[in-house]
Amino acid sequence: MVEPILEVGRLVKHYPLTRGILFKKQVGAVKAVDGVDFTLHKGETLGIVGESGCGKSTVAKMLVNLERPTEGSIKYKGEDITKLSGKALKSVRRNIQMVFQDPYTSLNPRMTVGDIIGEPYDIHPEVAPKGDRRKKVQDLLDVVGLNPEYINRYPHQFSGGQRQRIGIARGLALRPEVIVADEPVSALDVSVQAQVINLLDRLQSEFELSYLFIAHDLSIVRHISDRVGVMYLGRIVEIGRDAEIYDHPTHPYTQALLSAVPVPDPEAREHRERIILAGDVPSPTNVPSGCRFRTRCWKAQERCALEVPELAVPAEFRLVSGPAAHDSACHFAEEKQVVPPEATR
Amino acid sequence: MLLEVRDLQVEFRTRDGVAKAVNGVDYGVDAGETLAVLGESGSGKSVTAQAIMGILDMPPGKITGGEILFQGRDLLKLKEDERRRVRGAEMAMIFQDALSSLNPVLSVGDQLGEMFVVHRGMSKKDARAKAVELMDRVRIPAAGERVKDYPHQFSGGMRQRIMIAMALALEPALIIADEPTTALDVTVQAQVMELLAELQREYNMGLILITHDLGVVADVADRIAVMYAGRIVEQAPVHDIYKAPAHPYTRGLLDSIPRLDQKGQELYAIKGLPPNLMHIPPGCAFNPRCPMARDLCRTDVPPLYDVADGRSSACHFWTECLNG
Repeated sequence: MVEPILEVGRLVKHYPLTRGILFKKQVGAVKAVDGVDFTLHKGETLGIVGESGCGKSTVAKMLVNLERPTEGSIKYKGEDITKLSGKALKSVRRNIQMVFQDPYTSLNPRMTVGDIIGEPYDIHPEVAPKGDRRKKVQDLLDVVGLNPEYINRYPHQFSGGQRQRIGIARGLALRPEVIVADEPVSALDVSVQAQVINLLDRLQSEFELSYLFIAHDLSIVRHISDRVGVMYLGRIVEIGRDAEIYDHPTHPYTQALLSAVPVPDPEAREHRERIILAGDVPSPTNVPSGCRFRTRCWKAQERCALEVPELAVPAEFRLVSGPAAHDSACHFAEEKQVVPPEATR
Repeated sequence: MLLEVRDLQVEFRTRDGVAKAVNGVDYGVDAGETLAVLGESGSGKSVTAQAIMGILDMPPGKITGGEILFQGRDLLKLKEDERRRVRGAEMAMIFQDALSSLNPVLSVGDQLGEMFVVHRGMSKKDARAKAVELMDRVRIPAAGERVKDYPHQFSGGMRQRIMIAMALALEPALIIADEPTTALDVTVQAQVMELLAELQREYNMGLILITHDLGVVADVADRIAVMYAGRIVEQAPVHDIYKAPAHPYTRGLLDSIPRLDQKGQELYAIKGLPPNLMHIPPGCAFNPRCPMARDLCRTDVPPLYDVADGRSSACHFWTECLNG
C-alpha cells in the first residue's frame, strides 16, 4: 500500500451568520463543509465532483490554508497542519500548492510572467537563490510548454490555455508534492482542455505529484482520476475507485448526477434512463436532518430524516468483494448502472 | 424554411483593426426543428445569433453582407420599428446568464407582464395574470406568490426558467438559446433542457441552440452546424456527424472527449489555438491546426462541399476525413 500523503478527517467549515452591529449575535451558520474525510496517497489523483455550493472549493482552500477549518484535521505526512503556525506552517505550505480555476483573474495583470512564476521564491528563498531565479522560471516555462523567451510578457498577451499553463508553472515553482487543482480546465475551450489535461498528466509522472482534482465535468474527472469522491451539500456521499463510482454507483445522488450528464452520442438518446431530480439543492444554512440528500431523493423514507447515514461500505455489500463494495453514505444503497456501457464508449 | 441565413458577414471595427467575426454563414431552421450551432469562443456563433435577433451593437459591429430571411422576409431590410415588432413576438432569445439578463429592480412578474403590456396592449392586471400562468407553465412552484419576487430571490435554475417563460410569452415561431445551461449544474441543466424541449414540441417552434457542449448537442439536436473562425465548417444531421465527421475540426473535437478505453493514455488534443479574427490565416482558417493540411489548404478557401443529402463540409479533403 502506498503511503498516504494527506489525511483529511472530519473537516468542517462553518461561516457564521450574525445579526446586529455592535453586539454581534450568531444566528446561524453557512455549513459549507460539514464533516469531510478522505485520504490522498502519494502519486495518486483523487477527483472530487459535485455541483456548485457543495463545498468542494472550500475543501481546496482549507488544504492550502487559505481558509482555517472550523473543526477537523488535515494531516500532511502524519502531521496536523491545522495546528501549525509560523515557520512550521510555512514549510508545509510549500509542499501543497494550488492551481486556480480562472486563468483570467488569478494572474496579476501588472506583473510579468517571470515575476508571477518567480514570486513564490520571494516567500521561500531557500528554494532558489536570487541569481538562479531567472533560469528556474525559464525552465518552468519550458516544462509547461511555453516559450522561455516569453518571460517578460504580461498575462494579457496570452490566451486562456496559455494562462492556465502559467498558473500551473507557478504552482510547480516550489517543487510541491501535492497540487490542489480547483476546476483547472472549466474556463477553457474544448479543444484547449485536452492540451491542459495532458500537461497535468505528464507533470504528474515527471514530478511524482499527488493531485486533488476538483471539477464538475465528470468525464474529465474520470479520465484523470484514480479515485473519485462525490460531494453533496458539504459532505462526501460516495467515494471509491473510478470504475466503482462510474460503473457501479450505489448512492442515489451519484446515480442521478451520472444520468444527468449529456452523453456525446446521439444513439444513446433513446435507450438511456434519465433520473431527473426534483427541485434545487437546499441552502447550506438550513441542512435537512438525517440524510442531506433526502429532500430530492426518490427513495427517501422516514429513516432518512432521522438517521445520518455513515460514509462506509453499505451492509449489503460488505460481504461481497465486488466493485459495489465501496464507501457510500446511503441507508438504502443499491447498485444501479445508469450509463449504458456502450454510451460511454 | 422558417429562418434562412444566407452568406452573412459581420465585422467589428476596433482601434486595432477589423475583426472578421462572421465570414459568410449559411444555415436554416424549420418549424419544430432544433439546430445546434457548435463552436468555441470567438467562432462567431453568438454574433450570428445577435445579428438574427437584431441586437448586435452597431457600431462597432457592422453587417457587411448577406441576408436573413425569416418567414420569407429579409430582416436586414426592415426598418427599426418593424424589426422591433418581430423581436420578442415572433422570435425570442434566451441568454446564458439569467441573473444579468433580468432587471434586478423589477419583480419577475413585472418583467414577464411587460411583454403583454408592450406588445399586446394588455392592462397591468391582465398582464400579471398572464405572468402567473407562464410561471406555472415553466413549473415554478407557488407561482401566484412568487410573481412578486425579485430575480435575486430565485435560484439559478429557476431564473433560467423565468428567462424561458419570458421568451415563450408571445409564442414566437423561433427561439434562439445562447448557451442556456452553461451556467447551471448538471442536474439542473437536465431539468431545464427537458423543459425547453417539451415546450418546443408543444408550440412547434424552431430552436437554434448555441453551445460548445458536444453532450448537450447529442441529446437534443436534429441537425448540427459546426462553426470555426466565423464560418460553418460542417453541417449535418446529428447522427451522421457523431458517426463519421467530414471535417478534421469536428473530428478533433469529438476525439478530444475523454473515453473509457483511453483511460491512462494521452487525450487527443487539437494542437495550437483558435485564430485571431483580425488575422485569419489564408486558405482554410483551420489549416495551421489541421493534421491533414496540404498546400492547397494554405492557399484556397474551401467552399462548402456537398457530402450527402443535407450534409456539407468545408474541407478540400472531406472524403479522406469521412473515411477516417
